[in-house]
Amino acid sequence: MKISLPGVSHWRHDLGHCLHATAGVLLGFYGADPLDLLGAAWGFDYRGGDVRREEYYFPCWQGSLFASLAPYHDVASAWHTPSSPEQGWDEVRARLLTGTPVAVAADNYFLPFRPAYQDVHTNHLLVVYGFDDARGTVSVCDPVPPRFRGEIPIEALTAARDSANPVRHSRDMFFTANPIGNRWLDVTVTGCTGPASRERLREIMAANLTGFEGVADGASDHRGLPGLQRFLRQAAARLTDGDASVVDEVFVVAGVALAVTGLHGDYLAAAARRLGEPALLKLAREVDRIAHHWSAVRIIVATGRDDPATAGRALAGRTTALLADQLATVDRMAAVAGSI
Amino acid sequence: MRPISLAPHLNNTGLTGTAGLDGGGFNIWGNSFPAGELPPAGGTTAVGEVPFLFPVAGADNVRCRGQRVEVPPGRWDWVHVLGAAERRTEDLLEVHHSDGSVRGQWLRLSDFWPQTEPRFGEVLAFRCRHLHYPRHVQRTMSPSIWAQRVPLTVPSDVVALVLPDNPALHVFALTLQAAE
Repeated sequence: MKISLPGVSHWRHDLGHCLHATAGVLLGFYGADPLDLLGAAWGFDYRGGDVRREEYYFPCWQGSLFASLAPYHDVASAWHTPSSPEQGWDEVRARLLTGTPVAVAADNYFLPFRPAYQDVHTNHLLVVYGFDDARGTVSVCDPVPPRFRGEIPIEALTAARDSANPVRHSRDMFFTANPIGNRWLDVTVTGCTGPASRERLREIMAANLTGFEGVADGASDHRGLPGLQRFLRQAAARLTDGDASVVDEVFVVAGVALAVTGLHGDYLAAAARRLGEPALLKLAREVDRIAHHWSAVRIIVATGRDDPATAGRALAGRTTALLADQLATVDRMAAVAGSI
Repeated sequence: MRPISLAPHLNNTGLTGTAGLDGGGFNIWGNSFPAGELPPAGGTTAVGEVPFLFPVAGADNVRCRGQRVEVPPGRWDWVHVLGAAERRTEDLLEVHHSDGSVRGQWLRLSDFWPQTEPRFGEVLAFRCRHLHYPRHVQRTMSPSIWAQRVPLTVPSDVVALVLPDNPALHVFALTLQAAE
């Protein structure tokens, strides 16, 4: 038997990573514009210690992963954790036979088209959209450069899905030491409403602004602007004190913030053009500038392992600038939301 | 046009040959550009009409951490920049004048990562056919170096540029352009 589902094509945002790329492919399959869904929400929500060593980490405050990625839309997802590689493939194969592509976690070390092939272990996410029993192949779609869409031997995918994802050398950073476990992700999309109307956009902006108030912000929860400030200030202080253990956590969380912020900037820019609102376009550029702070944060911490004190001072300075821009942008967002 | 030597500030190895792959580390993952696909080290190369002093192999670019680059005092109009970023980013370049005044001008650089378009209107200076990894050459990845420019708007002698404290920004070369 063989199947190759139509409607599976590449999608990627340059500030996203494999999670958003995979989500874009799957949402595109359902006829949605990924930017409409993935770019609508903007906030900062992180529960201290929640970070996981996977490229597709995302804080899940809304229940499922996809509901958290696109909280203003009717999407959801469910992780499945098969007990064996055989069961893992049987489940994915059965889902494909219903006409539904899925996402699978995989160690790049075993994927022939990944640059990390036979080199670096890492916990990656990609789409499976077909198989050919006779040829012993599966069809996968991975928009992350070098971008691949096509068949690979099922043995390769099975090895990647069943990998222990071990740490072998210095480049096995951030996303290793977390066994893949044959996990796969089922996504449901129940209705795509298309681009937000002016009224709907106002509602979305208002909800994002409420989120930034950080009502539930507490000792271990970092929510909204108070949580963002506390997260970054504490990280800078720990680094300055020589504590490099904060590096992995801040790098991964900053990656999420970078992706979410970059997507929201482009979401607002698209809305500005669609609705003919120059003020929205200016706001989009300001959001973009905050994304560019997050680019700096990632590299400040990633290069800070050997000299955490210097990295801590750099992060403290960056935090001050980021928070100032963030506060100004949130204020402007409130004004723009009331004027469009 | 006046290419500026960045020799005192070079702190990152972004170019490698196939014999020294593990000596590079343009980004945090240890990737580097293939030196053999780029202009000869230590020579002057033109991007458009702008001559750049292309770095020698070894420490060959500046990972920006607030370095102060002294420049020949003069009424320069543009700073031309050859560089790239680890994910696109932007920050203020401090422009120091002979009268003691300091002004900020935006330095914006797009991602070097393959299959990523320029975000800030830069000119593509170089796109390599391969990307170097510490233990192999990846033939399906094509990293980019961008040519960007920063305006110097005040007609007053410039004596130094202070790069942003943003280690995601990498500068391979700077060239100053005077008023016509």
